[in-house]
Amino acid sequence: MAESEIDLNKTYDAVVVGSGAAGGMAAHVLTSRGLQVLMLEAGKKLPIEQELRSMEWPYNNPHRGELPPDRHALTFNEYTIRNPPYGPGFEKSKHLHSYIGSSDYVKNIVVDERENPFTGTNYAWVRARCLGGKTNIWGRLALRLSDYDFKAKSRDGFGEDWPISYSDLAPYYDKVDLYLGITGVKENLPHLPDSIFQRPTRLNCAEVTLKQSLQKMGRVLTPYRAGVTTDGLKHNKYRSRCWGRGACERKGGCDIHAAFDSPTGLIYPAADTGNLTLRTNAVVREVTVDPQTGKASGVHFIDSQTMKDYTVRGKVVIVAASTLESARLLLLSKSRLYPNGLANSSGHVGHNFCEHIMGPGVTGQVQNLVGKPSTLDDGRPGGFYLTRFRNLTEKHPKFIRGYGFEGGSGARMFPQGTDAHGFGASFKEEVRQNQGSYIGMGAFGEVLARYENYVDLDPVVKDKWGIPALRFHYKFGDNEHRMAEDMKETAQEMFEAAGFKITHVSNRVLTEGWSIHELGTARMGNDPKTSVLNQFQQSHDVKNLFVVDGSAFVNASCQNPTWTIMALCWRSCDYLADEFGKGNL
Amino acid sequence: MSKNEPINLKQDRRQWLKASATVLGASLLPLPAVAAKASQSEAPPAKAQSKPAGGKTVAPFFTPAQYALVEELSETIIPADSHSGGAKAAKVADYIEQELRESTDDSRKSTWHEGLRLVDLMSQHYHGKSFVDSSSEERIAVLTVLSDNDQMTDLPEVRFFRELKHLTVRGYYTSKIGIHNELEYKGNRLLLEFVGCDDPAPKSS
Repeated sequence: MAESEIDLNKTYDAVVVGSGAAGGMAAHVLTSRGLQVLMLEAGKKLPIEQELRSMEWPYNNPHRGELPPDRHALTFNEYTIRNPPYGPGFEKSKHLHSYIGSSDYVKNIVVDERENPFTGTNYAWVRARCLGGKTNIWGRLALRLSDYDFKAKSRDGFGEDWPISYSDLAPYYDKVDLYLGITGVKENLPHLPDSIFQRPTRLNCAEVTLKQSLQKMGRVLTPYRAGVTTDGLKHNKYRSRCWGRGACERKGGCDIHAAFDSPTGLIYPAADTGNLTLRTNAVVREVTVDPQTGKASGVHFIDSQTMKDYTVRGKVVIVAASTLESARLLLLSKSRLYPNGLANSSGHVGHNFCEHIMGPGVTGQVQNLVGKPSTLDDGRPGGFYLTRFRNLTEKHPKFIRGYGFEGGSGARMFPQGTDAHGFGASFKEEVRQNQGSYIGMGAFGEVLARYENYVDLDPVVKDKWGIPALRFHYKFGDNEHRMAEDMKETAQEMFEAAGFKITHVSNRVLTEGWSIHELGTARMGNDPKTSVLNQFQQSHDVKNLFVVDGSAFVNASCQNPTWTIMALCWRSCDYLADEFGKGNL
Repeated sequence: MSKNEPINLKQDRRQWLKASATVLGASLLPLPAVAAKASQSEAPPAKAQSKPAGGKTVAPFFTPAQYALVEELSETIIPADSHSGGAKAAKVADYIEQELRESTDDSRKSTWHEGLRLVDLMSQHYHGKSFVDSSSEERIAVLTVLSDNDQMTDLPEVRFFRELKHLTVRGYYTSKIGIHNELEYKGNRLLLEFVGCDDPAPKSS
């Protein structure tokens, strides 16, 4: 990619804060429309292929793929018994990471918790400060939302409807599908619209058994809809088609970029237009405001390495720093004109914070697969997705909204079943005989967007760069806990109906944040009194300020958000470019 | 020891701890310094001594005698059989040695030092000889006592057994022998198309 130096004397057409799914998409759309874009990323540009090493065998890794001894990744237990800021008690570890950073392939992608503290309620806050952010290691499940989600309030009375309908977003989902590539199978479901799919991946035998059993219950299991190009993309020279190497199972990323990531999917092609300037190690601490016009004028950032402070100017400022970081940045951008933070006349910035609850799930065994010769089961981007079935046609008596399951089955590089009792020859043989017979799934459910769940700025604690830390006021509520009970029960029922021998039922609800699907802290809406952004993710208060990431979501739905983040961002940036061209910003 | 009745570990351990009361004082606290000193006077196992990135030689965690015991313990957890090699062939003891040598967790280290000592006390109590000198049936018998009581995590020898099993499993199934010979893992290679089950072929859009 062609990189150009930042010009501090220039006024860029657009300054984009963040380089993940949203920032990358903003850069793609705006540079292709001819705008001069400056992208600021807080982290480094990593030699990402060297980090991910997707095909490295564990025995060729100094710690078999696990973290070096001077690093520690927080565990579920530690998130449960400790409180933020996480750090005290781990003095022996030079670096402390969130739970996802527990592999050697991810350690430089996720942040050090001590450099980036936060306070308040327990939260597994996963942050990736590097070019591309979390898209380097995302789970790849790429789902659309439907009017069951956009108009959820009209259906059950809770929360707010989105200011858009599925028909507004559908053309942009199509654009994202075609530009980035997605694999899946058409199902014609009203609550989970189909994408324009490339070659689908197949289910293996245990998954087909489950699918057929579910059909009798009127439930739908479909091959994993992954944001992965299985046919390749003729228009993108940075990405390969998927070669079924299977390393996606290893909590790592894809070093041939068959799985979407923002740098190769969006940023490098944007740079090739000649309209993009990228500045890494730029920790943005404030969006600046012109006191005369009340409009955004640019940003202040700190060089993460030299600690030097910089100011850059832009005609439009686009915040895409991730849901919680974007809220933080708006709250940090206080001025005489905007004493509660920028774009916050409604007082809703940081509020209506929502995500997905996870934890409940089930593992079972397919008896007729025990003792069969080893098969190749992980040579694909994912196993299956079991789509939502609650509160679609019937109303559940105990909770509103729904959940889906992600799952898979078959042999893996590291076998399942090693937690079985015993040792010796029989233990060894049992692990070998059982390895291909396991099937498992875990639920992702909608956490309601409630005003009482919010983040604000901690009055005392600051990060490594002296920037006030976020403080969490966030807990799952009764609806979520009742839904989690149901997840656990239905998971067992479905496995029993399929004839699987259940080997483990997970009852525990994982720590808030575990899904890495945080959303909603600057929601869209038609009413400036109860929402932060309009339907084009444009601030109601500051018309040349856009917030284009997951913070704009009005509710979380139960579908994984990345594809929707990008479709929304594309739509908003098309509008932005139109308005920019008309001189309306 | 009877093969049919489960051993009451909490009752038995009083006897084997008492029997060794004279040596307890000397070895209850296996200080790393003592272990390191001992290792200098004897030839360390060739594999256990490795050079970290800095190029400095680091003292091995296990003494040669402890290393030999770990080898036999890990092989008892995952033995060679007609299908493939076991923990010894997969050099699991080297993996465990590295894990502990590099660990910053002192309580984990003392679990290992203490556990190795207690296992040998058990072996002496039940069979009148060290674990390494025992037959494979005798070794299995000692570990069966621990495995049958593996919920008694208040006991240091049980905590040790769980750690031993955990690291042996981890080391073995991430080794060449574990992945390729034992499990015959088929993935991690380029694949033109994933072959699924006999479900009617899903149609692309």
